[in-house]
Amino acid sequence: MLKLKPKIDFEVSVEAEITPQLATLSSDEISNFQVYYGKEKTKLGDLFEISKEGDDAKLVLDGDFSMVKWVGARMDDGEIVVKGDIGDHLGAYMTGGKIVVEGNALDWVGAEMKGGEIVVEGNARNYVGCAYWGDMTGMSGGKITIRGNVSNYIGEKMGGGEIEIFGNAGDFIGTEMKDGTITIHGSCGFVGGDMKGGVIKVKGSFEVVPGFKKVEDGFEGDVNVGGKGKITQF
Amino acid sequence: MHHMLHIKNGIVVDPKNGINAEKMDIFVKEGKIVEESEVDVKEAKVIDASNKLVVAGGFDMHAHIAGSKINTGREMRPEEMRTVRLIAGKFRASIGRVLLTSPAIGYEYAKMGYTTAFEAAQPPVGALHTHEELDAIPMIDKAALPVFGNWHFVLKYVAEKEWEKLRAFLAWALERTKGFGVKVVNPGGVEAWMYGGNCKSLDDEVPGFNVTPREIITGLIQETENLGLCHSVHLHCNNLGTPGNYQTTIETMKLASKFSNDKRQVLHVTHVQFNAYAGSSWRDVASGAAEIAKYVNSVDNITIDMGQPIFGHATAMTGDAPFQFTLHKLTGSRWSNKDSEIEGGAGIVPIAYLPKNPVHALQWAIGLELGLLIDSDRVVLSTDYPNGGPFTEYPYVMAMLMSKKMREKELERVSPYVQKATGLAAIDNEKTLYEIIQMTRSLPARVMGMDNKGHLGIGADADIAIYNLDPLSIDTANDFEAVYKAFKTSAYTIKGGEIIAKDGELVKEIWGRTFWVDATSNASIEAIDSDLNEMFEKYYSLQRQNYGVEEAWLRKPERLVMG
Amino acid sequence: MPETKEEELTNVICTFCGSVCDDVLFDVEKYKGKKFCKLGSAKFSKKERIKAPMIDGKEVSYEEAIEKAVEILLNAKRPLLYGWASTVNEAIRLGVILTEKVGGVYDQCASVCHAPGTLALIEEGVPGGSLGEVKNRADVVIFWGSNPMEAHPRHPVRYSVRAKGLLIKDRKDRKVVVVDVRKTKSANMADLFIQIKPGYDYPIISALRALVKGEEDAVPDEVGGVSKQQLKELAELMKNAKYGALLYGLGVTQSRGRDRNVENAIKLIQLLNRHTRWIIWPMRGHYNVVGAGDVPAWEVGYTYAIDFSRGYPRFSPGEFAANEVLQRGDCDAALIIASDPVAHFPKASVAHLKKIPVIQIDPFPNMTTLISKVVIPSAMAGLEAEGTAYRMDGIPFRVKKIIDTEYWSDEKILELMLEKVNEKLGLR
Ligand code: SF4
Ligand SMILES: [Zn+2]
Repeated sequence: MLKLKPKIDFEVSVEAEITPQLATLSSDEISNFQVYYGKEKTKLGDLFEISKEGDDAKLVLDGDFSMVKWVGARMDDGEIVVKGDIGDHLGAYMTGGKIVVEGNALDWVGAEMKGGEIVVEGNARNYVGCAYWGDMTGMSGGKITIRGNVSNYIGEKMGGGEIEIFGNAGDFIGTEMKDGTITIHGSCGFVGGDMKGGVIKVKGSFEVVPGFKKVEDGFEGDVNVGGKGKITQF
Repeated sequence: MHHMLHIKNGIVVDPKNGINAEKMDIFVKEGKIVEESEVDVKEAKVIDASNKLVVAGGFDMHAHIAGSKINTGREMRPEEMRTVRLIAGKFRASIGRVLLTSPAIGYEYAKMGYTTAFEAAQPPVGALHTHEELDAIPMIDKAALPVFGNWHFVLKYVAEKEWEKLRAFLAWALERTKGFGVKVVNPGGVEAWMYGGNCKSLDDEVPGFNVTPREIITGLIQETENLGLCHSVHLHCNNLGTPGNYQTTIETMKLASKFSNDKRQVLHVTHVQFNAYAGSSWRDVASGAAEIAKYVNSVDNITIDMGQPIFGHATAMTGDAPFQFTLHKLTGSRWSNKDSEIEGGAGIVPIAYLPKNPVHALQWAIGLELGLLIDSDRVVLSTDYPNGGPFTEYPYVMAMLMSKKMREKELERVSPYVQKATGLAAIDNEKTLYEIIQMTRSLPARVMGMDNKGHLGIGADADIAIYNLDPLSIDTANDFEAVYKAFKTSAYTIKGGEIIAKDGELVKEIWGRTFWVDATSNASIEAIDSDLNEMFEKYYSLQRQNYGVEEAWLRKPERLVMG
Repeated sequence: MPETKEEELTNVICTFCGSVCDDVLFDVEKYKGKKFCKLGSAKFSKKERIKAPMIDGKEVSYEEAIEKAVEILLNAKRPLLYGWASTVNEAIRLGVILTEKVGGVYDQCASVCHAPGTLALIEEGVPGGSLGEVKNRADVVIFWGSNPMEAHPRHPVRYSVRAKGLLIKDRKDRKVVVVDVRKTKSANMADLFIQIKPGYDYPIISALRALVKGEEDAVPDEVGGVSKQQLKELAELMKNAKYGALLYGLGVTQSRGRDRNVENAIKLIQLLNRHTRWIIWPMRGHYNVVGAGDVPAWEVGYTYAIDFSRGYPRFSPGEFAANEVLQRGDCDAALIIASDPVAHFPKASVAHLKKIPVIQIDPFPNMTTLISKVVIPSAMAGLEAEGTAYRMDGIPFRVKKIIDTEYWSDEKILELMLEKVNEKLGLR
């Protein structure tokens, strides 16, 4: 297990593409791991206190990591526990393993992820499980759970997997979604525009956009793209 | 500073001067190739080119490298821009997968031994933008071809058979756009698109004008010749991208039969692959390359370029707006369109050529058939960048044309549809190195009428590429991997006498020239003065006085006066 | 004093709004414009200027100010270089290269107005046309969330409402529709005004798509305050146009739905082109906001919100747009050119700007001047400096210099800055 703690309050953001695999490296390798502090290329050890206990693939991030981006990006195994807040792109492109954030996350949680699990105990912001600009498919596997609220653009272009939001969400839930499931326990705004497939379940109030036809257990659409997506209330 | 070079012991292939793999020295002074006697050999920098191929710098005569089309392509495809080629430092940051930034375009050409590239479609009213982008491309010489075939002046003058006025208009427009020659894209068809239509055959009437594509093309060839331009009409045919269109293409080529020119073709038909389909639908589409090749080989006033697709990502961007819309409907992909004043239009649609897709494999095979079946002094190697894919894969096309063995290997991974719908597998022809150099250097220079480009004779521009390839020992038919690798990155690229790249690394950033053609003394611009005033007043959304580009605004303009 | 005759005045090109009127005139002696609208006249009239370059409010030479600015940019871990929409391409190009060299973030005014259109372009492309084509052909023009009468006063006359051309010979040949959340001045000149509920552009456009497609069942009786009947009529009107133009504004891009609104509208236009001809285009604000996006696109691949901290460009509007950067406190210096974020940005953004060293380049003093450590006055493009600008439809113009000035042009200032940066980085 590897524990990281910021040595300073970061003036500008830090980009650290760290995965649990880092914990399996030697202390030297860990300390020399390259990260960016603004435009400065620097070493992990210069910005964080490092303590290593054993070789298991587990990262514990202790402190305020809200200025730290790309944590867990592309990870394929192991575990990350964030004791505070975390920055953008948490678990982007990840294919396996588990991330738990005890605080809040920012944008792009689990963007284009293919497998594994992300749990955020607090809130997240925009683009949960979405596709990056110009890409055709968002999240396509795995599960994202947000216990708090999220903002706009959730599971857009989603091609599979599961997103569960326990709080409220903003607009554009499952836009252009192709497959997979989005569950929202609270309320949300516009749902399902240009949805081709998949299922969206909302417990609270929501706004279906025109293009959906009422069916027995909810709505089906979007007819504008000949879609067979399902929106239901539970 | 005088840049003198002595390129020693290289094996020279220089088709224009009839030199085929001869060991010789080349001397360079003040950006030109000179006699040995002109150079102080002790002062000159010596480049040891022993066992290396020495040729003129590559000349890409048809690529979309500058202006609103490629730039909108970049803007709509951020996923294209994530490939990082070079981190900022001594040189600019360079990025792009197939669509490249302007610095990347110059750098990649230079690394490949190409020293000249022409933008093949400049929307006239956007000329200034095109030139700004050309000015942002380092390393190479360049020029732009403004597009004429749907411009209302042209439609009107052809309809009225006002040939002198048409001639004057061409000269006026080239001067105003700082353009190089007369590009024509789907003549009449883009005007029809403004009403939702197209001109699919040579005799479809253009709405609002009593005129047909046949008349537009003929009139433009006639007046381009009368004006004495160094480049011929450069035509993107009607009916592009449609099964059965090879017949339209041949019919179009026949329109040139009554014209001739001692120095060059009178009609260059571009990216012919997209206009070489037989069949009646996408179900029975087949290759029409053999028929086109037969016709092109039988006449001496037509040249073409291939428009070779490369498997992988590409972005279709042409002035053929109705075709782009059809492509959007066919693929469901993103679509940009730009109707442009009274001059024509353009469209952009992303595509990917997949080897297992029967149609894509067919297109790939047709491009190669054209390259193989047409004489090497009539067909230029091109991908119609980025329509067919990256120009950085020219070495792939070169190697394929030279090796049947490589083609057989590639045929194994593509859709079997090509076996029945094209004749590629049965073609035994293997181009020689000499012919490949012709197709990438001397011929494009001749097609564009650039006497100082594409060869290594005395007085030529010192644009030179040296490759790690010994023509005297290489077996191009079997060592295709070595051929590919050698042409991917030059051992040296020399531009205007300066070493700009070496072994795939950039050495020095330089800025090439922008050529433009001034033919105003061969026509009476006054003849159209009142028409210009009237048309600007009525139909343009800008003032005539604010239309066009001044030479002083360009970084390094070079005016070519037509005598 | 008798009026100067038109032919004695100098033709200039207006450098205020995205209409970039190129038929306007200037009387150098009287320092007065002619034919301009109110907005253009105000810009082309004598105004208070920043007197001289300043560091911490003390007058210095251009060279000293530039030296200081370069020091600030190079010492920063992550400088933000923002503005650009009201200067010329030549300056923008240098600014982009400068940002690349100093490893900063390039962002421009679009990120607070029409950037959602750029995002929609990424999603769907943009089926568009030049303003000359609107003038020549458009028999139906819809202003959606745009208010040309107030934001682009001469646009209607020159291009889109009363303009005559090839097929449109008379105002009666053209149907003008305004869709907005309130009855604007522009609504008064329209043949049809449709008032919609704020924040409901997206579902209304979805409904129109379904109606054009013949999927009436999927449209409820009322959408966003508009009855199904009225929507049906609008859909029919659109389908029956010969050449339609949908010109959208900030009402679409800066209200609920933003980029998704534009994307949806583009999909509607794609669909309509299966029936007839339609184009869609944004009513861009600043005179060269198009250049502020196009120039970086060819130089570094993206149009705004570009980060160079890794030595190569990356695009991420949610992270690198100026307001995101400022509100996250994610920059430690800023260069602001031809813009006034202190007046126009949200409080949280301004609060961070006040904490960091700011360099300003601008012809005119504004709120941002007051918080800037280094202030570098510049010549006004279009009057005192020339250069290239792109009209809202991308048509390039060379704006003119007709008055001599002691002020340096933006281009000259940035050229020296870049030279100094290269020197300090050992690149020359
Ligand atoms: S409409 Fe815009 S460009 Fe035209 S004069 Fe007014 S402010 Fe200037
Ligand atoms: Zn082309």
